[in-house]
Amino acid sequence: MTRPPTTYYGQPALKPAPWVWKVPVYTFAAPVAGAAQLIGTIADLSDPDGGRSIVRHARYAALAGAAFGGPLLIGDLHTPMRWYNMLRIFRGTSPMSIGSWLLTGFGAFSSVVALAQYTIDRNAASARRTATGRNAGVRLSSRIAAVAQLPAAAAGAGMSLYSASLFTATSSPLWAAAPRSLAVKFGSSAVAAAAAGLSLLEHASGRPSPAASALDRIAGAATAMNLGATVAAGRAWRKAEVDGPLTEASAIGASYRIGSILLGQVLPLVCHALNASRSRPSRGLSMLGSLGIVCGSFLMRLAVIEAGKKSSQRPVDSLRFTSGRPRKRDG
Amino acid sequence: MSGESEASTGTKIEPGRRYGFFTDTTLCIGCKACEVACKEWNLLPSDRASLSGMSYDNSRGLSATRWRHVAFVEKLDESGELPTAMPPFQSHWLMMSDVCKHCSNAPCLEACPTGAIFRTEFDTVVVQQDICNGCGYCVPACPFGVVDVDTDDGKAHKCTLCYDRLKGGFEPACSKACPTESIRFGELDELQRRATARVGELHAAGVADAYLYGTPGSPGATGGLERLNAFFLLTAEPEVYNLPCSPDRPANRVVPSLASGLAAVAALAAAAAALLGMRR
Repeated sequence: MTRPPTTYYGQPALKPAPWVWKVPVYTFAAPVAGAAQLIGTIADLSDPDGGRSIVRHARYAALAGAAFGGPLLIGDLHTPMRWYNMLRIFRGTSPMSIGSWLLTGFGAFSSVVALAQYTIDRNAASARRTATGRNAGVRLSSRIAAVAQLPAAAAGAGMSLYSASLFTATSSPLWAAAPRSLAVKFGSSAVAAAAAGLSLLEHASGRPSPAASALDRIAGAATAMNLGATVAAGRAWRKAEVDGPLTEASAIGASYRIGSILLGQVLPLVCHALNASRSRPSRGLSMLGSLGIVCGSFLMRLAVIEAGKKSSQRPVDSLRFTSGRPRKRDG
Repeated sequence: MSGESEASTGTKIEPGRRYGFFTDTTLCIGCKACEVACKEWNLLPSDRASLSGMSYDNSRGLSATRWRHVAFVEKLDESGELPTAMPPFQSHWLMMSDVCKHCSNAPCLEACPTGAIFRTEFDTVVVQQDICNGCGYCVPACPFGVVDVDTDDGKAHKCTLCYDRLKGGFEPACSKACPTESIRFGELDELQRRATARVGELHAAGVADAYLYGTPGSPGATGGLERLNAFFLLTAEPEVYNLPCSPDRPANRVVPSLASGLAAVAALAAAAAALLGMRR
């Protein structure tokens, strides 16, 4: 423990990010949509037949996330009418700029993919009725989707992790203290939640495809990685003595520890591990684990964002975080 | 361009040169003329007045509508007791007029996704009000808690170093109003020369605590912040004035963060390909 620094009447030395609930909701919905597009594309490439329903769900979910996330992001601007100024420039030092372009690209490509998928689905439905089989429209749509899903998946991968950079590239001590582990945490949590969400959709559709249990394994692997990053981030926060907002008895602390770690990581890992060891996986365990991951992923984002805002309002934390005196000299 | 500034400060204001503030806190008498002059010139709305209980500081800090702020520190003696004797210099008072540092590199500018925040021809950092969309990302980016979003008009605001006055050849309103020359406006090189000489003068006079904050290589200009165009002469630890000793440039973390995240997602994508492909 270093000596707590002097403060100026305890006044905050930094200002908190002026963001409301829309940002945590966006940083859940959009990264998960991005990761869903990524998983859908991988499923399409590695198992085109077995993963057909996964691909379908992923493509619609990706568009839904982008369509839901965009307005949220615009709504959080203090002058929403000027949202298009986000596209005036590209700035590599600003994850907000990187993210605006990622979302734009992701939204555009995901729309093409989802539209192509819709054409395929409609034709498949009418083909079943008329028994004419696959027609030229379906073949064209399949090809469009197969091509457009590649840039959509690449943008989706970016979407899944960039929000960690958005937070870490600030002066808020809690966000700044763990740049690498926070990025792994956000990225793996998005992949886990997307796989879990797709698994839930498989169960909800009534006839889970044979590839569905692979989704639970992906979610399990991503959750294990998330747990590792959680430990690493926790260590970095403790070392920098900025972990207060997440470890104290408060709503933020509880949603982090109970919501994101217990419900979102430990419980799902137990469920999915039990299921993996059974010869016939239980549907209940799979759904319970998946629900835990999805809720935990949201609560993690909510807690980290609120804790970061709180962190910047604590002068003891922020001044200690920047208290290194490497090059102090007089004059 | 010649003008008022040349006559009053000896500083000719020309595009392409670097200008800034040197705020010498040992000369500050806490009159708050800078706060008032800034508000008046920039037509900033009044703040809801209330007593803070923080010495004579009722304005509390910089905000969207307060671009100069005078801090009042009443020094206690070593034991923490209220002092009963008067030291020969600065009595028990530390007063400091805080302002946007006009950093180079400026974290707010590097965070701004719209290009609303830009570096002017005078090497100062300004938010263009007709472009800002109020995303608020500059606010947590600032290592000094300066820039702020006004929820009334939905834009980010901070000191412009009186960009409009500089354009007309006038020195900024705060330095113009400062009666003790605690706030000096000028060309950066000249200000830094003067500041270094002033520290030497103070050291020779027995004020061993005097040091510069924000000049290259000193506290405040750390972690990728090369220099602060508005820099200070302080006589106590930076934290006493609510300033970070070693702030850094948040943009330094963009690449490590994106690279780690991408590596993690790529590894999971490979795992997903293996797991999904196994059933083929």
